[in-house]
Amino acid sequence: MRNPIKDKVAIVGVGSTGFRRNIEGRSRDSLAVEASIKAIRDAGLRREDIDGISASSPGPGYMASALGLPSVTHYTAGHVPFTTAVIDAMNAVFAGSAECVLLYHSVYRAPAISASAARDPFRRGLGFGGSIPQVPSRIDPESVAGAVGYAAWASRYLHEYNASREGFARVAVSDRSNAADNPLAAVRDPMTMDDYYAARMVREPLSLFDMDVPVDGADAFVITTAERARDLPHKPVLIHAATTGLVGPNEEDQIPGLEQHGQHVVVEALRAKSDIWIPDVDLYFPYDGFTIITASWIENTGWCGPGEASDFLKQNWDEQRNRILINGKIPLNPHGGALSEGGTQGSGHIREAVVQLRGDAGPRQVAGAKTALLTLGGFFFNAQGLVLRSE
Amino acid sequence: MSAITDADLLGRFPDTWINHDNKEFYRGWLRQRLLLNHCGDCGYWQHPPRPVCRACWSDNVHATEVSGHGTVHLLIRLHQGPPAPGVDYSEPLPVATVELAEQEGLRYTSTVINCPPGQLRIGLPVRLTWTERYGAPYPVFEPLAEGAGAGA
Repeated sequence: MRNPIKDKVAIVGVGSTGFRRNIEGRSRDSLAVEASIKAIRDAGLRREDIDGISASSPGPGYMASALGLPSVTHYTAGHVPFTTAVIDAMNAVFAGSAECVLLYHSVYRAPAISASAARDPFRRGLGFGGSIPQVPSRIDPESVAGAVGYAAWASRYLHEYNASREGFARVAVSDRSNAADNPLAAVRDPMTMDDYYAARMVREPLSLFDMDVPVDGADAFVITTAERARDLPHKPVLIHAATTGLVGPNEEDQIPGLEQHGQHVVVEALRAKSDIWIPDVDLYFPYDGFTIITASWIENTGWCGPGEASDFLKQNWDEQRNRILINGKIPLNPHGGALSEGGTQGSGHIREAVVQLRGDAGPRQVAGAKTALLTLGGFFFNAQGLVLRSE
Repeated sequence: MSAITDADLLGRFPDTWINHDNKEFYRGWLRQRLLLNHCGDCGYWQHPPRPVCRACWSDNVHATEVSGHGTVHLLIRLHQGPPAPGVDYSEPLPVATVELAEQEGLRYTSTVINCPPGQLRIGLPVRLTWTERYGAPYPVFEPLAEGAGAGA
């Protein structure tokens, strides 16, 4: 599989507001603006340098206006998870559509997924991620569309592999243990396996602790050429390989099955493009919007076979720290992931990978980390993968 | 039975996004018939409704009645969820994706009624039946046979 862009483009700036269950008195857009300014400053650049925007929310027009960017030659608005923005920015830089691209993602609790958001009059009617109100439309509960689809396939996973929820529990506990060292994380209190099993069921077989934490906050990044990156303040983090993955059909109740969906496309493409693969990676970020997604990524990436995630995680469990440590050295989602840092649709995972590869992760730093594999998104219409490396 | 006009159809489903691709599916609901897209050229079934056949790209696709027989393939129980008339979540609401008899991988998602919670499981044979919601028929499933939930 062709990969002419390998190591040609770099992530040179990161900025984050941090994530909290409730950031009072601020708009979604103010969070994205704050993170963007931090990312541009972190990259050692000025507004005049930013000539590209790969937005998720708010849109690129809003951001160019809010930041007073004088000349933007490339702007797009993509879909979450956030790898779509990374790939768009990467391609724009490589193709010459822009030299320095700002990309950002804000998350903002919606009334439908957060009781406290439902009480906030300034969030009335907001959709997922704080999107603007849509025309009221009928929603029947007898559906597996959207996030519910993961609970549905979790039921199938437990059935087909005769598995228990223990693997899911380890994913949730491990994330929480890791979040303790991350000041950006929304939830940092330690959690035990017993706490996991005691959590209330929401979409049985998934409980409250199988689902990511709704938060407010934003991450932002700046991407430019590897060549220019070498003149900027931080150690460049190179994009080694990147892909997204879809199959048809991909509706939540129509995908062929647990062993044939978007994740499999991602793994095949990424593996073909990348010179770096498991187990020789220093960092692994499997998406964890739901615990079932993480278990599936671990299996589909080839760390273990289908249905074996629970045993694999048990064998690679760091008893001292109460977390996953593959082969005694590779942590999963060292920032706490979507389950504990907060549901960022992948921007948090990418930010942490960059910070780790720079060697700037403080108490979370994985010593000498030079390569990171990120498998982001879920099964249906959002599976994505990235391999990042430092020089 | 007299024809259901487009205006009638849109009037009966005021909050549903109905377009030219799914209008016959919803018209079927009003006649208590589950009509899924079937390809007149290659015989492939698919859901949700799409303008062409996924298998052969023919546009000779028509909403066609299915037997309604199938097997529970995915099964969750909602302890909370969107508000809907007749659903209060005092007991968890089963949501089942049923693999229909017509074709492997052809599935329809709804709930299962008339089934003791202990008997509802993945693999249970079910059949289509109808309830009512917002003044219009609503397709659901029930166990294929009395006591079918036990054993097997």
